[in-house]
Amino acid sequence: MAEEYILEMNHITKKYGPNTVLKDVTLRVRPGEIHALLGENGAGKSTLMNILFGMPAIHSTGGFEGEIRVNGQETQIRSPMHAMEQGIGMVHQEFMLIPGFTITDNIKLNREITYPWLGSRIFGKNLEMLDEAAMRKDARKALDDVGLEVDEQCEAGGLPVGHMQFVEIAREIDKQGVRLLVFDEPTAVLTESEASQLLSVMKNIASRGIAIIFITHRLDEVMTAADNITILRDGTLVATLPTKDTSAEKLAAMMIGRGSEGVIAVEKRPGQVGEEIAMEIRDLWVNMPGETVRGVDLDIRRGEILGIGGLAGQGKIGIPNGIMGLYEAAGKVTLFGQPLPLNNTTESLRQGLAYVSEDRRNVGLLLDQSIEDNIAFSAMQVKGMFMKRLLGQKDGASIRRHAEKMIRELDIRCQSPTQATGTLSGGNQQKVCVARALTLGPRFLLVAEPTRGIDIGAKQLVLETLVRLNREEGLTIIMVSSEVQELRSICDRIAIITEGKVSAILKPDDSDADFGLAMSGSKLKGGMNK
Amino acid sequence: MSEKEKDRKSGSSRRVAGCVLCGIAALLLIASFAGNLLSSSESSRSSLKELRTQAVLHAASDGLVESFAAQARSEKLKELRADKNFRKRGLDEVNAICDGAAQEARTKAQALYANPKVEDRSGLEKSIEDLEGTLKNYNVLRNAEREAYSALYVELVDNVGDWTELTGEAGEDDEALFSLLARQCPALEKAENAHLKASFVSLARDMSAAEQVKKDAEILSQLKSAMAGSVSDWNALAGMDADALWEALCAQEDMLRGNERFRTEILAAAQEHIQAAANGETVEEAQADEGADTVYGTQTNFDYFKGTEKLSQLDENNESAYAVLWGELVSVIPDLDGLSDKLKSGMRDTIEGIVYPGDDSFETLYNTYTANVSSVQGSSFVMRLSASAKKLMLLGIALMILGAVMVFWNRLTRLFGVPRTIISVFFIYLNLAAVLYNISVPMMLGDILVRMGMYGILVLAMMPGIQCGIGLNMGMTIGCIAGLLGVVMSLQLNMMGFGGLMFAVIFGVLVALPLGWAYSKLLNRMKGSEMTISTYVGFSFVALMCIGWMMLPFNNPKIIWLLSGHGLRVTHSLLNNYAHVLDDFLTFRIFGVQVPTGLLMFFLACCLLVWLFSRSKTGIAMTAVGSNPRFAEASGISVNRMRTIGTVLSTVIAAVGIVIYSQAFGYAQLYNAPRQLGFIAASAILIGGATVRKAKVGHVIFGVFLFEGVLVLGQQIANAAVAGGGLSEVMRIMISNGIILYALTQSGGASRE
Repeated sequence: MAEEYILEMNHITKKYGPNTVLKDVTLRVRPGEIHALLGENGAGKSTLMNILFGMPAIHSTGGFEGEIRVNGQETQIRSPMHAMEQGIGMVHQEFMLIPGFTITDNIKLNREITYPWLGSRIFGKNLEMLDEAAMRKDARKALDDVGLEVDEQCEAGGLPVGHMQFVEIAREIDKQGVRLLVFDEPTAVLTESEASQLLSVMKNIASRGIAIIFITHRLDEVMTAADNITILRDGTLVATLPTKDTSAEKLAAMMIGRGSEGVIAVEKRPGQVGEEIAMEIRDLWVNMPGETVRGVDLDIRRGEILGIGGLAGQGKIGIPNGIMGLYEAAGKVTLFGQPLPLNNTTESLRQGLAYVSEDRRNVGLLLDQSIEDNIAFSAMQVKGMFMKRLLGQKDGASIRRHAEKMIRELDIRCQSPTQATGTLSGGNQQKVCVARALTLGPRFLLVAEPTRGIDIGAKQLVLETLVRLNREEGLTIIMVSSEVQELRSICDRIAIITEGKVSAILKPDDSDADFGLAMSGSKLKGGMNK
Repeated sequence: MSEKEKDRKSGSSRRVAGCVLCGIAALLLIASFAGNLLSSSESSRSSLKELRTQAVLHAASDGLVESFAAQARSEKLKELRADKNFRKRGLDEVNAICDGAAQEARTKAQALYANPKVEDRSGLEKSIEDLEGTLKNYNVLRNAEREAYSALYVELVDNVGDWTELTGEAGEDDEALFSLLARQCPALEKAENAHLKASFVSLARDMSAAEQVKKDAEILSQLKSAMAGSVSDWNALAGMDADALWEALCAQEDMLRGNERFRTEILAAAQEHIQAAANGETVEEAQADEGADTVYGTQTNFDYFKGTEKLSQLDENNESAYAVLWGELVSVIPDLDGLSDKLKSGMRDTIEGIVYPGDDSFETLYNTYTANVSSVQGSSFVMRLSASAKKLMLLGIALMILGAVMVFWNRLTRLFGVPRTIISVFFIYLNLAAVLYNISVPMMLGDILVRMGMYGILVLAMMPGIQCGIGLNMGMTIGCIAGLLGVVMSLQLNMMGFGGLMFAVIFGVLVALPLGWAYSKLLNRMKGSEMTISTYVGFSFVALMCIGWMMLPFNNPKIIWLLSGHGLRVTHSLLNNYAHVLDDFLTFRIFGVQVPTGLLMFFLACCLLVWLFSRSKTGIAMTAVGSNPRFAEASGISVNRMRTIGTVLSTVIAAVGIVIYSQAFGYAQLYNAPRQLGFIAASAILIGGATVRKAKVGHVIFGVFLFEGVLVLGQQIANAAVAGGGLSEVMRIMISNGIILYALTQSGGASRE
């Protein structure tokens, strides 16, 4: 049957320069089905959707390989406008409503129903009168379809966030000839009851023959709503399968699982970590835009490496930034039995904390200054090291000696200690950051995303350095990373953060499925902290 | 990949072009060398002499021919005037007819005299030689005397603050006046300057008269505006006679009483007001020009120059030598004798100009001779080559530099950055142009050094601003105004010498501290748009202080408006206080360059202090805040505190800078004068290689040298290349603003990195 699928994206390959972000991915959607698209951050979901909508970002970077068929017809989708003409609609994650307009106006924007009168017959169609009654009727019907019981004449600006999402959907289904709707993480901002309402609306829409692509990382929603599931991982297609043949555990394993690949071999800790608590975090809230922490409780034992994982935007990065006082924080943190004042970076550093920031280029380094100055900077400012008595001048000679020692110990590949850090490779920049933190002589090290954007060899070196510091110097380390495999290879315990809270604390040898479930915030299985 | 390749390809073609240019330059240099050799050869020397004789003869015959033509023209005109139809003819027609007659006469005369045949030139040549000798002697002595006069003139004008005071003290007694002058400038009393005594006395009298006129105008304008302000109803004054009107005016405005000498002008102005009031209008008051014409440096006025006995003796020698030459010429072209005296003396100037053009170089001689010989014989290729040796050399060097820059473009731009490379090359080219136009390079260098010291500290004020992250601190005018307050305060207290200068500096700094602190609080609330904010704040503070200067309760009569009794004047001369005290401290002359040692030492000392600060713990933290605030924050540094320190430092240095600027300039200018200083300082430091995020002391020193160098040289060369003062002023504005514009576009490029 020619029209078995409403949309076929066959063997899609997309490269950005030398990086292949999508490799031979196929996605087929039937009319009237809810098709879930699953994957971690960076798995290629957004790129695939950008291709579907003909986004300029795709065309300006050399296009893609593979074919797209809409209704069995091979189609070149040139622009988002063109995609809309093909009957493909999108419900955006950010709401695109005009606050000062009524719901009706928003739904009917640019598709107003009009009737002619004398003036418009003379001066043309643009002067036709609005048929308010017909528009309100249409809007009412669309709102009823999505189950929203608000007056269609309300101003959109005053609506609660959840309602805006429904108005957005109402606008899409009100369009004539919509055959495929893409929902991009629609439940991210909704409350639980709104989310379940949304799922039923989606089913309702699907029952009218409109196909839905449902992008999410919440596995329980997928299990409830989706008919079929396509899973992407690292730009490749893992599987396409019907929901009834699988379970949340299997899905999680498929999303995360790499088996043993990518795990960096590090010798295991010989004995057990003691029970002494190095840092106690109670009810930590951090106001970091995009990485809000909403009440985290954690205990870190002396001498262990604690991993913190989770998807992007869930708040894992916020924890070290909050402890170091870089973003506004509230709660109680105790370090080696002493209470640590929050929102005071200098005091955090004085108490023996050191932080290697996730944002190497913007927070971690002075890119236009030399390696030695970067290494010495924090210790000079916080502890007054490397200063001469005379006129309070910096002591170039001792800085040089220390920098050379660090360069030797951490194997920083550079021409000289005076080379600007901006000209170093990512891995070596990271080592300079670590060197700066170590120069402070810390008791407790916080490291965020230490391997982001550096090649595999450098990754190994950075992780080995952390392990060596931990084993030889007894340094307690919190390591935050988006890469679960990396956490599993060096950490003693791994806390997974979702929605600003600890959703599970896992052991490195727990199964892929456990990790996947914890990261998707699924409440199907135990392992919860509280 | 492909981009890199493209880069390499364009790089290689650039290198090839650069090599070709270097090759051409080498050829030019060889040609110039050959020309130099040839010009000193015997044969070209003798053909040059030949050319000279021809030129003299030609000048004589040409003068004769032109005199015939002029005669024919005036005769024709006379004839036309006699005609009764004369008035009916248009001006163009008359001209055309006269020109025709003149041309006809010229052609006829040319046939007779154009190429005078000379049997024996030896007499002529000998007399030319003699004349050249005497002229040379005369000129050498005259130049030396003029230079001595100029030095005296400059010293005197620089030292005398108030000419009216001097003449008032001396009265009519010339001897007394002279001894007063000699007190200001002791060199006047030297024996060799005795002949100039009368000149300088009359100079002093003229200067004081001019000053009096200026003062009177100022007082009159104040009186007029006071009157306009006090008289409420002009209509009531209508129809009075002069005496009654004067009384009525005096009754309404006290200031008029005791200023009877302006009575006529005041009455005229009052009549104007009355007239206008009758018509229901008001009189628009002519705005007094606030921008006092303060010229940097002193231009010598040679109107008062007088030569010594010896000089007039030499002049007499010229006379006799010329008489001999004239005799020789008349023997060749007898008709010359029939010329009028006026024409004869005009011809003498021409011929003397040919015989001794004031310079011995082959090029000048050749150019002068050929300019006067219409059909140059004997002007062979060799001669032309020898004459243009210097031009060829300069062109060769210029091309060589251009070629070298093209070949090493990548290395140079990596080392210095694009803007500094281009401006440096431009500076070198200006130096070459200075040689081409025979501009005295040592004098220029001295000028550049003074201006470096003058602007240096102001440019230095930009540095802490850039380092602490507020970018280009256009609001440094706040500091400038604080410094000016210090200057005005020292004037109020009549302080002089080093003490006065130091007082002005310290007072300015004390005022700058709280102002800078408040300004930094504002900037800390406006992160991200500091440049716009600081420009606005700078401008509005200048405007605010325009009111402030009027309101502040200063009361030293030397600095306030003469009559109203309050409000500071626009321009204050520091000549009697501490003008040039730093410039003159340990000053010395080397290779003709006058070095303002004290000024430069002070500038470098300030640089050293700022450098030491930038290596201290606080300085390093401040630099980190400027280059990456989030990095600094992660090390526990308070970004706002560091920005405050940087801003206050910048404001304070600006305050010191303007005091030093004023003492080097010799004048303190208030009101709108400090408005542009921020732009000058910003462009100078940017040219020095700083970006809006990074600046070093080296950038300041190099930048102020390049900026002032380009400005001083560019201005002089524009003066030399384009005749007329107006255009050179336009050029000056174009050059200085062009540099600012260029530097700002470059800074945008740097911040995008």
